[in-house]
Amino acid sequence: MTELFAFLYQWGDAFTFLVLSAMGLAIIFGMMGVINLAHGEFIMCGAYVTVLTSRLNLPLPICMLCGALAAGIIGIILERLIIRHLYQRLFDSIVATWAISLIATQGTLIVAGPSIEGIKTPFGSFNMGGYSFSSYRVVLMAIAVVMLIALYLLFMKTRFGVRARATIQNPHMAKALGVDTGRVYSLTFGLGAALAGMAGALYAPTTTTVPTMGSAFIVQSFVTVVVGGANALVGTAPAAGILGVIQSLLASGFGQTTGQIGLLITVILVVRLLPAGLSGVLSRARNG
Amino acid sequence: MASWFARLNGPQTLGNGRGFWLGFVAVLLLLVVLPFFADEYLVNNIGYFFIWVFMAMGLSLLWGYTGILSFGQTAFFGIAGYTYGVITLNYGAAYGLTFAALLLAVALAALVAWIIGYFMFYGGIRDVFVGIVTLSITLVLETFMAQTAGPEWVIGTARLNGFNGMSGMPPLTIPWPGEDEIFLEGRYLFWFLVALVVLLYLALRMLVNSRFGNVMVAIRENPSRVEMLGYDIRRYQLIVFVIGGALAGLSGVLYTTWGTYITPSAMGLTAAALPIVWTAAGGRKDITATLVATVFLVWLSQILAVKGSQYALVLMGLILLVAVMLAPDGFVVTLAKKIAQLKGRNTQPPSNRSETKLAESPPPP
Amino acid sequence: MTAILETKNLSKHFGGLHATNGIDLSIESGELRCLIGPNGAGKSTLFKLILGSYPPSSGEILFNGENITKLLPCRRIEKGISIKFQVPGIFEDLPVAQNLLIALQHRMSKPRSQTELERLMTLLDLQSARTKRAGDLSHGQKQWLEIGMAIALAPSLLLLDEPTAGMSPEETFKTGELVMQLNQQGMTVLVIEHDMAFVRQIAQKVTVLHFGKIFVEGSLQEIVNNEDVARIYLGKV
Repeated sequence: MTELFAFLYQWGDAFTFLVLSAMGLAIIFGMMGVINLAHGEFIMCGAYVTVLTSRLNLPLPICMLCGALAAGIIGIILERLIIRHLYQRLFDSIVATWAISLIATQGTLIVAGPSIEGIKTPFGSFNMGGYSFSSYRVVLMAIAVVMLIALYLLFMKTRFGVRARATIQNPHMAKALGVDTGRVYSLTFGLGAALAGMAGALYAPTTTTVPTMGSAFIVQSFVTVVVGGANALVGTAPAAGILGVIQSLLASGFGQTTGQIGLLITVILVVRLLPAGLSGVLSRARNG
Repeated sequence: MASWFARLNGPQTLGNGRGFWLGFVAVLLLLVVLPFFADEYLVNNIGYFFIWVFMAMGLSLLWGYTGILSFGQTAFFGIAGYTYGVITLNYGAAYGLTFAALLLAVALAALVAWIIGYFMFYGGIRDVFVGIVTLSITLVLETFMAQTAGPEWVIGTARLNGFNGMSGMPPLTIPWPGEDEIFLEGRYLFWFLVALVVLLYLALRMLVNSRFGNVMVAIRENPSRVEMLGYDIRRYQLIVFVIGGALAGLSGVLYTTWGTYITPSAMGLTAAALPIVWTAAGGRKDITATLVATVFLVWLSQILAVKGSQYALVLMGLILLVAVMLAPDGFVVTLAKKIAQLKGRNTQPPSNRSETKLAESPPPP
Repeated sequence: MTAILETKNLSKHFGGLHATNGIDLSIESGELRCLIGPNGAGKSTLFKLILGSYPPSSGEILFNGENITKLLPCRRIEKGISIKFQVPGIFEDLPVAQNLLIALQHRMSKPRSQTELERLMTLLDLQSARTKRAGDLSHGQKQWLEIGMAIALAPSLLLLDEPTAGMSPEETFKTGELVMQLNQQGMTVLVIEHDMAFVRQIAQKVTVLHFGKIFVEGSLQEIVNNEDVARIYLGKV
């Protein structure tokens, strides 16, 4: 019983990490086709802002929202200044995000130094059958599920969601029907950045805040997005679910690195067997 | 001789005229005699710039010529560097063994590239996904090597040493009758590197201007059309990927021998970005532009790194950003085209000027 | 006369959409066949199935009696099929001559490809544009260039997907002359076309596709006089 709980906890932890770290990347990729290589730096930005605002003795949730907001605003600015001009050149827009990543990491290193003092993990831990579990990680699991639902509702039930989906389906038609597609792209990029910032904010209490922290998230988020496929709303959660199983099994047996290598091999196999990712399979099943 | 020379020129390279080759010879001569005039520090340094050229030229071949977005060339760099370290730390430097280690290390990098490339191209991974997979591979390799600090991570007598990396491997040696061996250091290493750069540069020029090169650029322009002309594009992509991997591996070995150390961060996100910066800034679609830009930017980074490598890296990021946004063909290529335009206006009408660039290659005399 | 191309009960479904639905097409060697039908009839899907751009949901494709249903696209091309896409599929950034050379070099030596290049350049009336960037050609010239690339492979079966789209009437007429000339030299040609003037100019036999099925097949005269065909174009069937 306790073993089962321990495994579920590990799986949930892996699932949560994959969902939270991939969501922002998945939204931007799904809606715009751009692989945002500065994704890790938006995560880093969220974590830094959270840590810095927490020094003002604000409540932690507020600090985390500040982190997400800051990343989102920077995302919108960068979209306006840079990404917008490269929509016709997909590969170049990806390379541009890498340039942003490089500048952001090294710039932070110059401005803020090699590391800043982090914040303590809240809520402490609880015991069960001789194992100790972090309560905060359980809270994160709940947050991940809530965020998935919120995102689904945002894209399916709101005006913004309808416009965004119309824009991906057919940008020219959407424009002709009066959708401000530029605004949609800009908000989508901002949303993706904010979600990345949120991931950084939520994990800030559990990791060390260093300028290069983004690269600790980036492989997992890539892998989840590739396995999930182009439709981020449909694909991300099941992809994270399956990859979570693989990672938690391998990691508990052979260590974290083996877990990562396992993910990488899975991704190569998935691309080989299901080139459109899980969302491709799911939408095919739905259409009969 | 003349027909070999003709093969160096063609539509896929800038600088096919007399002027270019005269300049090329002049630069080459200058480099050959440089060690007799310059101090050892400068000679060593220029050698260091050349080390990176191979990886950059490989990326230009992949990304610029064939349209394969490989973000993880540093994986092969690291694999070859570590392999060289493991072999030489175990077996020493006697009897020119270091050259065997160099070849083995490059061969291993090529083999790994073949395996990864096979899975990617024959598995239908395309476009941006190639970038994601290759970048993920190099990042996972970095994480993997960084956790090998424990004593259980040892191959023969060589400890992998985790985050701190391996060090203390011997430089390249040549067996010499009567003596134990000659260390390839100082000016000898410099000449060796110059010879290697020239040799591979010329070989790659021949490759891209050959029929194979025609197919490479065609795949970049329109892969499905190439397929519908009866070419198995996967084979071409795989071959180019293996060449690119081997070239990155060569850079990795040379880097390891030059500084006698290698660390996991050589495969990290920052390290992986640098070849992208060099190729994009020079002009990824031209091998000469890539070479020039690489040497210049490595030199620039080194100057700035005196203050701290982060300043150099921020500048590299800015250069990449500006290149992508304002000079998508690369600064060197854009400049070269401007010069050609000006010259063309002064001498002859533009339609004749490009004539020589067009034929598959000029017929042998 | 033997069939150079046969499809047997060839179907392709995208989700619930039956793009082609049990097509039995047979093309005799040496034929010049036109494939017509309203938008969405499955014409381009049929071409893509023949080329192997995607696998059929069911059915078989025979080329010269050999089952090629499972072959890779490039292997089918090597067997003697060639295509000109609907949207010009040329190498925009490369010069015109190099576009053709890439098509030629696959099957011939260097000196031969040079002579063949000159022949094609003259045939396609592209001599004056040989050093031009292919992307800078006029729309009609782009179409010709791609036809040139397709015939550079000396195929036994040439597929043309709307070869005259966007051409002026004069260009269309010239293209018709070219297609007929190729056919007289022994090339089997299968053309998708919307322009009925062009179809009248070149066609011997016409196949009409409708809702993914063969609606009717016959000589040009029969099809032109068939009232049902006129009706499906007006959307009444």
